[in-house]
Amino acid sequence: MYSGPVIDCDIHHARNTDAELIQYLSKGWREYVTDRGPAGNVPLTVQDGFPNPHGFMRADTYPKHGGEPGSDYPTMRDQLLAASDLRRAILTFGDDSHVAGHHNPYFAAELARAMNDWSVERWLTQDPRLFSSIMVGSQLPDTAAAEVRRHALNPRMVQVMLVDNPFNRGFGHPVFHPIYAAAEETGRPVAIHGGAGGWANPPSTGGGSVSTYFETHVLWPQALQTHLVSFIAHGVFEKYPGLRVVLIEGGSAWIPSLLWRFDTEYKGLRREVPWLKRLPSEYFAQHVWVTTQPLEIAPEKENVIDLLRSMHLEDRLVYSSDYPHWDADEIEYLSTRLPADWHRRIFFENACRLYEWNEKELERPKPVAQKAQ
Amino acid sequence: MKIDVGAVADFEDHRMRILQAGIHEVGVLRWRDRFFAIHNRCPHQKGPVCLGIVSGRLSSGAPGSMEVDDETPVIACPWHGWEFELERGRALWDESYAVKVVPVRVESGRVVLEVGKGAA
Repeated sequence: MYSGPVIDCDIHHARNTDAELIQYLSKGWREYVTDRGPAGNVPLTVQDGFPNPHGFMRADTYPKHGGEPGSDYPTMRDQLLAASDLRRAILTFGDDSHVAGHHNPYFAAELARAMNDWSVERWLTQDPRLFSSIMVGSQLPDTAAAEVRRHALNPRMVQVMLVDNPFNRGFGHPVFHPIYAAAEETGRPVAIHGGAGGWANPPSTGGGSVSTYFETHVLWPQALQTHLVSFIAHGVFEKYPGLRVVLIEGGSAWIPSLLWRFDTEYKGLRREVPWLKRLPSEYFAQHVWVTTQPLEIAPEKENVIDLLRSMHLEDRLVYSSDYPHWDADEIEYLSTRLPADWHRRIFFENACRLYEWNEKELERPKPVAQKAQ
Repeated sequence: MKIDVGAVADFEDHRMRILQAGIHEVGVLRWRDRFFAIHNRCPHQKGPVCLGIVSGRLSSGAPGSMEVDDETPVIACPWHGWEFELERGRALWDESYAVKVVPVRVESGRVVLEVGKGAA
C-alpha cells in the first residue's frame, strides 16, 4: 500500500441545516427564504431526480452524534484525513453543489456566494490542510466571474467549480467565458464535476433521457466528454492559455479513445475550427487533469493501465476519494490497481502541479508538538 | 520529361483539372496567374484528393474569427477531409504528411509539367 504524501481532490463537505447557510445570505434573501409560515423555507438545494436505491452516502460516514455525512469535521478528520499521510484536501460541497441547477439565477448567485463564505468560515478555519472550491452560479456568468475574483486573495479557495449546466450548451461555449477569464486571471483551475449537465436540468445524456440512477451513473462520463470536447473545440485554451481544467468523478479509461477520435476528426474538420493550432490531444496534455475516482475496473487490471498509459494519464491523474459518497475509492484499494511507480505521481505530485503548490514545501515533515517542560 | 498539358487559357481559374501525366493522374490548379500540380492520391487512404474542395487557407487569430489567406491555396481530400497546401503538398495539421507535388510552370503561354526522375 502507498504510504507517502497524499492530496485528496474530491471531498464532499455538507451542512446539516438550512440555518447554517441562511446566516450567510444577505438580509433580503434571508427574508425571501424564511418566514413562510407552515410552508417552511424556500428549498436551498435543487432536487435530485434520480434516487440512489441504497442512498448516496456510505453508511459509516453518518456522524455518531447525528447529522449528515460530510457535515462533521471531527468525523471527517478521524475517518478520512487521519487515515493517510494527507497533506491537503479539496472540498467540493455536497448537494448544494448543484446550485447552477436553480431556475432562479439571482437566487443561485446569492446561494453560491453564501456557500463560499460558509466554506471559508466553517471549514477552512478547522484544519490548515483543507482547501475549498469556489462555487458559482453559472446562470449569470459575469456575476460568477465577480465571485471568483472576490476570492482571488484567499489561497485556500483553490478552484472554480462547475456542476450543473444552466444553458444546455457545452461548457466551452462563449457564454461561459467570463468565468474562465476570471479563473485564468486569478490562477484558479476550473473543476467540472461528474453529473455536469443534467442533475437538476435533464437531459443528462446524449441520445435520450434515462430512467434510473443506474443508467445515469454509468453515463456520467458522457457529460464530461461533452464539456472536454467543447472546451477544446471552442478554442478556450487558445483564448485563455493559462487555464487549467480538472475533470472530477467521471472515470478516465475513456479518455484515450475520445482523444484518438478527437484528433482524427480534427484532421478532417479543421476548416470549421481554424483557431485550433494543435491536435486536441495536445491541448489535453497541457491543460487537463482528471481525478481517479471511480477508477474503471476491468477483469484484467492491466487492460485499464495500458489504456491510461497510452495517453500518459499517469501524469494527469490526481487522487480523489469522493468521501463520503457510496462509491468512494480507498487509497489501499487504488494502490493495488495502479502500478507502484505511478503512486507518488497520482497520490501527490500531479495535484501539486495542478494547483501550483510547492511539492517540497508540502512534503516537509509535519511539525511535532513540543512537550511542556 | 516535360509534358505540355495545354494553354494557360484552357485552365479555368480556381478549378482543379485532373489529367494523365505519364503513369500518374495529376491535378493541375490555376490560381489566378499561378499554377500548382499534385498527384491525385491522398497519402492517408489513397483517395482521389484532387476531386476535393479548393480554397484559400482558412485561419483564425482568435476563437470565433474566420480569415482566409488567399495566397495559399489548399485542397481538402473528399475522403475524410484532410487538407493539404498546394505549394509544398503538406498537410495543414502535420507536415510529415504530404501529397506529392509535381513541378509545373508556364512556358510561352503553355502549361508544362515536369515528370520523371525527381518529379512525377
